[in-house]
This record gives sequence, structure tokens and C-alpha cells, in this order.
Amino acid sequence: MRAPDDTTIKAGQTLLSVENVSLSFGGVKAIRGVSFDIKKGEIRAIIGPNGAGKTSMLNVINGFYHPQEGQITFKGVKRKKMRPNDAANGGIARTFQNVALFRSMTTLDNIMAGRTLKMHSNFFWQLWRYGPAEREEIEHRHKVEEIIDFLEIEHIRRVPVGRLPYGLQKRVELGRALAMEPELLLLDEPMAGMNLEEKEDMCRYIIDVNNHFGTTIALIEHDMGVVMDLANRVIVLDYGQKIADGTPDEVKANKAVIDAYLGVAH
Amino acid sequence: MLCVKPYGMLCKIFVVPFYEMWDLPDIFVQTLWEGLVGGTLYSLIALGFVLVFKASGVFNFAQGIMVVFAALSLVGLHSLGVPAFLALILAAGIMFVLAYSVERVVLRPLVNQPDIILFMATFGLTYFLIGLGELIFGGDPKVMITKQLYIPTGALSFDFGGGRVELQKLDITAMVVASIMVAGLAVFFSKTRIGRALRAVADSHKAALSVGISLNQIWVIVWFAAGLVALVTGIMWGARSEVSFALEIIALKALPVLILGGFTSIPGAIVGGLIIGIGEKVGEIYWGPLLGGGIESWLAYMIALAFLLFRPQGLFGEKIIERV
Repeated sequence: MRAPDDTTIKAGQTLLSVENVSLSFGGVKAIRGVSFDIKKGEIRAIIGPNGAGKTSMLNVINGFYHPQEGQITFKGVKRKKMRPNDAANGGIARTFQNVALFRSMTTLDNIMAGRTLKMHSNFFWQLWRYGPAEREEIEHRHKVEEIIDFLEIEHIRRVPVGRLPYGLQKRVELGRALAMEPELLLLDEPMAGMNLEEKEDMCRYIIDVNNHFGTTIALIEHDMGVVMDLANRVIVLDYGQKIADGTPDEVKANKAVIDAYLGVAH
Repeated sequence: MLCVKPYGMLCKIFVVPFYEMWDLPDIFVQTLWEGLVGGTLYSLIALGFVLVFKASGVFNFAQGIMVVFAALSLVGLHSLGVPAFLALILAAGIMFVLAYSVERVVLRPLVNQPDIILFMATFGLTYFLIGLGELIFGGDPKVMITKQLYIPTGALSFDFGGGRVELQKLDITAMVVASIMVAGLAVFFSKTRIGRALRAVADSHKAALSVGISLNQIWVIVWFAAGLVALVTGIMWGARSEVSFALEIIALKALPVLILGGFTSIPGAIVGGLIIGIGEKVGEIYWGPLLGGGIESWLAYMIALAFLLFRPQGLFGEKIIERV
């Protein structure tokens, strides 16, 4: 199940488009008829008050949830119902709001796990860790070392991630997503719970990833300062509906957004 | 003899057994060895449980019957005229088909259900396999094809401490095979992509999905691995006694082993198995007579109970930390 390679999309063209997506859990409507697009090479932020449906939106893009209505097109291909691990195959990587790492594994193993899909030696060789399996391990280890280098986490290479402080865990999680060499990187509150210094570091990494690797990024964030600095375009959700979409400046000036955030008597 | 009246019982519990160990070292060594062998086989059973529990969070009650089923398939195929080693490979194939079917028919439809439901489902699987096994192979005990698989029989014996110690070659083989298997699994788990994926699934389902690991595939692999462990266990237990449905009971012995070692730890399963194996043999020989014998059948559970009181997560299990 590899994505067709002839559908290469140039910077500035639409990488992913979401049309009229609605998602409900029983009677709760988490997302109501939301449409937007993500262009290749941009940093797209999704913001909104608590419970606005941001994470649900990310889960829909990621294939964890299946929207009841609407259409998602990724790399020019309309998406059919898929299994959660298929999104990774198509080149979508993500991090989670409450860090979801493999806690008992080391930093190295966690990031290596991100290479799972890039490794193909079969079960037979794997069983003996010989021949192709061994060559492959070494080859991918190089790539992982580059990422470790890039994120400046050399010193925690062999530490089980469960023991790391929160900020570093977030960084390892980013590393694991980067190891997948994704075309679209989804970050669910990458800066949540961090101190100022850690936030600045994380911002720098996100910008670097975007600049150096040309990775398209969609992120959810609560820190408005961060969002306004990082994002090229922002979409605002409230009660599952899209209330604004545009550049940070446009969104900041939008009446509906100000109402949603400050609260207004309806 | 040694013990004076008022302290009679205490003396029999705390002094006499140790004196006997010292006095007749050959019997002590023989007892330790028997315990070690029994323990190795408990470890193997527990290993099958741990594999499945780690990756899918299911306590697989069917592991015991899988041991019987694997051994029966092997013996049954051979009795149909299939050469022994081909029968071994085919029996492994049957365990793969079983793993695949379990994933399709049992695990996949029940995904995201509470653990207790999956646990009950493995009960169902147990009874299904008992029925299927009896239907195909009949309910009579079978003899394991020990010779045909070139498993050495007979005994090595040597003089020790004024007596003779006998080591069954079969038992030595069982120890060697079990050690190789455990070492192999350890390398597989720590150094390969699939092994890493298995551990990843054990830690976090959603994170594993997000990096593109297919849970369904992993489940088939772990159930297959547990099936292979079951096959080896079945051969070894079968060779020591016979292949019958009564073997299924040893699955229950895995429970104290798991409580001791922790449900999620492979080294735990091994150490726990050895402790239980040695503990119950030594207990039976030296303390058994005080209680009228037969304590081997329940001592393991008592040890487990004591552990539950002081270290509920087991020797090697992950410490249970709950955020409040």
C-alpha cells in the first residue's frame, strides 16, 4: 500500500483538502461541515477554544476517526474509508496532545520505530537478524542519528523515554514523526505544558523542519503568540464550526474570533 | 530425635529440613534439579502468556490448550505417516493458521472492548479448541514422538555427596531448547523492526498506529509466536509424561508464575517459573511430610498469594503508578 509517486505536488499547491466534513459521536456533533485546505510547504495552524473540535479534526485527517459526511482529498486522491495505520503509509505523521511515546523503549528505539514503514526486510531475515535485516538496521540507524543530531538529543539516546522530562519527551515524539519523513506533519499542541525556553526551542525546530525539509505542517496550539509567529495561515474552529480562515493578521482582526475567545452574550 | 518437646513443631519447620539438606546433599541436588526442570517448563508456558498479554492486553486463557493442541497436531500428523520433522513444520503451520483465525474471528471484532470481554473470549477459544481437538484426534492420551525427533532419552548419573544424582537427558534437552528459545526471542524483540513494533504496540496502540504499525499484523505475529512457544512446551511436557488434555491444567500453574514475575516481563516469566518450580519441589520434599504430603499442588499459589501482598506488580513488572 504505497502512495503513487506520480502525484508529486509542488510547493503552494493544495496538499490536502477537507470538504464539508462532519463528525459526530452519538448525539454530540464534534465537527459540523468544515472545509479548508492545506497547501504544500506551509505551516497551517488550527486554533479554537476548548472543545472546539481541533483534535477531532486532526484525528479525521489522520484516519483515526471516520467522518460521517464530507470528503478528504490527500495528494489529489480522494480518500476512501481507511484503517488508522494507512495514513502513515500515505505520508502523514503526527504527535499527540498527551505525549504518546513507547515509554519503556529508549529514545533511539522510539525514533527507529518511526522508520518501521521504510524497512522492508521480511520476517524470515528478521527472525535471525541477518543479511538484509542487519544491513537495513544499519542504514536506517544513520538516518535516525541525523534526526537525533538535528533535535540535539544525543545525550538521551539510550534512556527509556518514560524517565525523561516532559519537554524532552515532546522532542522525542517530534523526532519519531520526523523519522517517517512525512509529507504532512500534524502536531497536536506541541508546546503544551512547556516553559518559555522549551517553547522557543520547539518553535525553532518546527521552523527548521519546515524550511530545511520542506515539510508541510498543520498544528494545533493554544499559545496565540506562537501561532501568530509560526503560522502562514490560521483556521479558527468554535463549537465544531469554522468561524474564520486566513492569515494571522486577518484572523486577529476577525469579529467572530474575538467573540469566541472573549465570550459574548448570544 | 533432634527436637525436644516444647519446641517440637518449630524445630521440625526451621531446623530439620535444613539439616536434611546438609546431611544428604545428593537428594538435595536431585530435588533442585527436578525443580529447575519443572520451572523451565512453567517459564515456557508463562512466556506464551506474556507475549500475548504485552501486545494485546489479553490474558490468554487458551495458552494451556494451545500447548495440548500443538502437541496433538504433531503426534496426529506423524501417526498419519508424515515424517517427524515435516510434521513439526506442519504443526507450526497449524499454529500460524490458528493465530490468523484468532485475529480474524476473535480479536478484530472485539477490538476496543473491555479486557474482561477479551478474557472471556479466550475461555470460549479454550473450549472450542478442546472440542476440535477431541473431534480430530480423539480423547485418548498419546505418546510423544520423542525418538523420531531425535530427542535423547535415558539418564546421566554421577556420584555426589555419598549418593547418586540422575539427570534425565530429556530434561537437559528441555533446558537447552528453552534457553535457546528465550535468547532468540530476546534478540528478536530488542534488535529487529518487527520486535520493535511488538514492543511499540505493547506500550501504546495509538502511537503505534500513528507510525504505521498495523495492529492486526502484530496480533497475528504474537499469537503465532505464542503458538510456537506452545508447540515447544507441548513437545517437552509430552515427552516427560504423555500428550493428553490433562496437560491443559498446567496453564493454571502459569498464573502464580505470572503473579511472581509480572504479566509484562519476559525475564520475569523466566525467573518466576524457576522460583515456582524449585520452590514447589523443595517444599514438597522437605516440608511436605509435615503437612501430610501433596503440598506441591498448592504451594505455588501460596507463594503467589504472599507476593500479591507485598509486591502486586511482580518481581519485574512495571510499577503501577496511578495519577490522582
